Amino acid sequence: MGAWRLPAILALSLCACAASLLAGGSALAPNDIFAALTHPRSGGDVATIVWQLRLPRVAISATVGASLSIGGALLQGMLRNPLVDPYLTGVSAGAAAAIALAVLVGVAAPILPALGFGAGLGTAVLVAALARRGSGIDPNRLILAGISISALFSAIVAFAIARSNSLDAAQSILAWLAGSMAGRGWGDLLFALPYVFAGVLLAALAAPALDALRVGDLRARTVGVDVDRAQWLILASTSLLAAASVALAGMVGFVGLIVPHVARRIVGSAAPVLLVACALLGAALCTIADATARSIVAPSELPIGVLLAFVGVPAFLYLYLREERPA
Amino acid sequence: MIALESVTIGVPNRTLVREIDAIVKAGEFLAVLGPNGVGKTTFLRALCGLQPVLAGRILLDGMSLRERSALERARSIAYVTSDDAMIETLRVRDVVAIGRYPHHRWWEWNPSPKDADAIERALRAVNVLEQADRLFTTLSSGERQRVWIALGLAQETPVLLLDEPTSHLDVRVAHEILALLRGLARAGRTIVCVLHDLNDAAAYADRLMLLGCERMLACERPDRVLQPQLIERAYGIAVERVETARGARVFSAVDE
Repeated sequence: MGAWRLPAILALSLCACAASLLAGGSALAPNDIFAALTHPRSGGDVATIVWQLRLPRVAISATVGASLSIGGALLQGMLRNPLVDPYLTGVSAGAAAAIALAVLVGVAAPILPALGFGAGLGTAVLVAALARRGSGIDPNRLILAGISISALFSAIVAFAIARSNSLDAAQSILAWLAGSMAGRGWGDLLFALPYVFAGVLLAALAAPALDALRVGDLRARTVGVDVDRAQWLILASTSLLAAASVALAGMVGFVGLIVPHVARRIVGSAAPVLLVACALLGAALCTIADATARSIVAPSELPIGVLLAFVGVPAFLYLYLREERPA
Repeated sequence: MIALESVTIGVPNRTLVREIDAIVKAGEFLAVLGPNGVGKTTFLRALCGLQPVLAGRILLDGMSLRERSALERARSIAYVTSDDAMIETLRVRDVVAIGRYPHHRWWEWNPSPKDADAIERALRAVNVLEQADRLFTTLSSGERQRVWIALGLAQETPVLLLDEPTSHLDVRVAHEILALLRGLARAGRTIVCVLHDLNDAAAYADRLMLLGCERMLACERPDRVLQPQLIERAYGIAVERVETARGARVFSAVDE
């Protein structure tokens, strides 16, 4: 791998964050934004917009993108399956079901992120329990359990939407399903950050074993990897990162699936570098997507999940099919 | 040195081989022979601590395998198996680099110059250095086999266990690999290798361990093991023994 690639991705990520600060309903000049950033206590409309509206959105979207991408790379490596994403843990389906039911019975909106986080983690524990074999995890069982439990909770979401007798309630549920960071602020980020840090720490502990796991559990054991421990670390890390993302932005699809593929094409497969590249590329993708989502139909917003699906999926298919096509 | 003291191996609900007593010295090339399903792979996995023994104990340099951690075992014993795994996007060099895992602490993410040297030596030893930057999935089955061996070599362990390392190789490459293993044994490594070809085993190994009828039938020099009655007892097939300039050989004696 060229030594310049990781710094280049870092530069791209920083540029994406900077560009994202420019986007929004009010047109702000770059030098005004810079002045507001360097003088946070200066007051005024610009400082308020930058510090209370745009900066938290950039930080949240970068956190969500990085978390989902790291989780995707971890699970794809552990399961030796390039088609899984962090939501296989059941986190998003569990969170969506809990939020849908909560909206249906009229739970206050500020409680929903924490509720989604708790329900998402609870579902991940259920999926992990079903996937358990001996002291480790059976990859096939994990996939089956993840898909089955997600299907069950999706049915609960559909039921909640069908039973909701107000348009607002249905729209509130759909907003979670489509992914959105509208109305999120520093408080939400502060709630999620400890779990993100915990997830990243667990990912760092599991990273050296990830390469060995990719050549099979048996070979990983022959080189001294504690496979059971590595699997639990990866599952716990992915669940925490996905649950924190769901609490921050609802269901943001495709990031955890697509970014690891793109990162592998750029920096190769060595796990530690791959995870760092995933975090940076995921942050860049989500900040740009969020900036686009809140400016393309301003003053309204597009759901970021919808935007990512429209743009990300064709791009991913193009990349993947081009790679598969014989020379 | 590996010492086996009354070792019984098996899989859940089935004993495969009972009461194995043997010593494999440093610098020795031992070939393990026997019919399919007799327990050769289970024996190798027990030798490297991947599978617990049902009875007895295995000592490595006087210390029980059970007393060593997984990482300590991986620094002493490398196990090469030919089971394939889907490893999309890993390059040959990345695969071989996995052999350096037991030499790293968890925070040592970057390969050291020592790692790079070990990987280079391993790639060169099995003649896949030119394919180092190719994707593993683009290799032929014979090339993949050599990469798996290189992974084991990169571990730089005093003991190397190999499960049918010549199974996907053409006759020339198979002999290159066996010659390499014999060279490693001459350089001081202990080689324990499951083989199916009795004559290849006899040509390259110092001793042959013959498993059959839930027992270790022999663990002797090749010419003492290639006895028609022993082979027939293990495999249930009659063979003819022929003396050649390079030692004893056996051939199937079944009439057409």
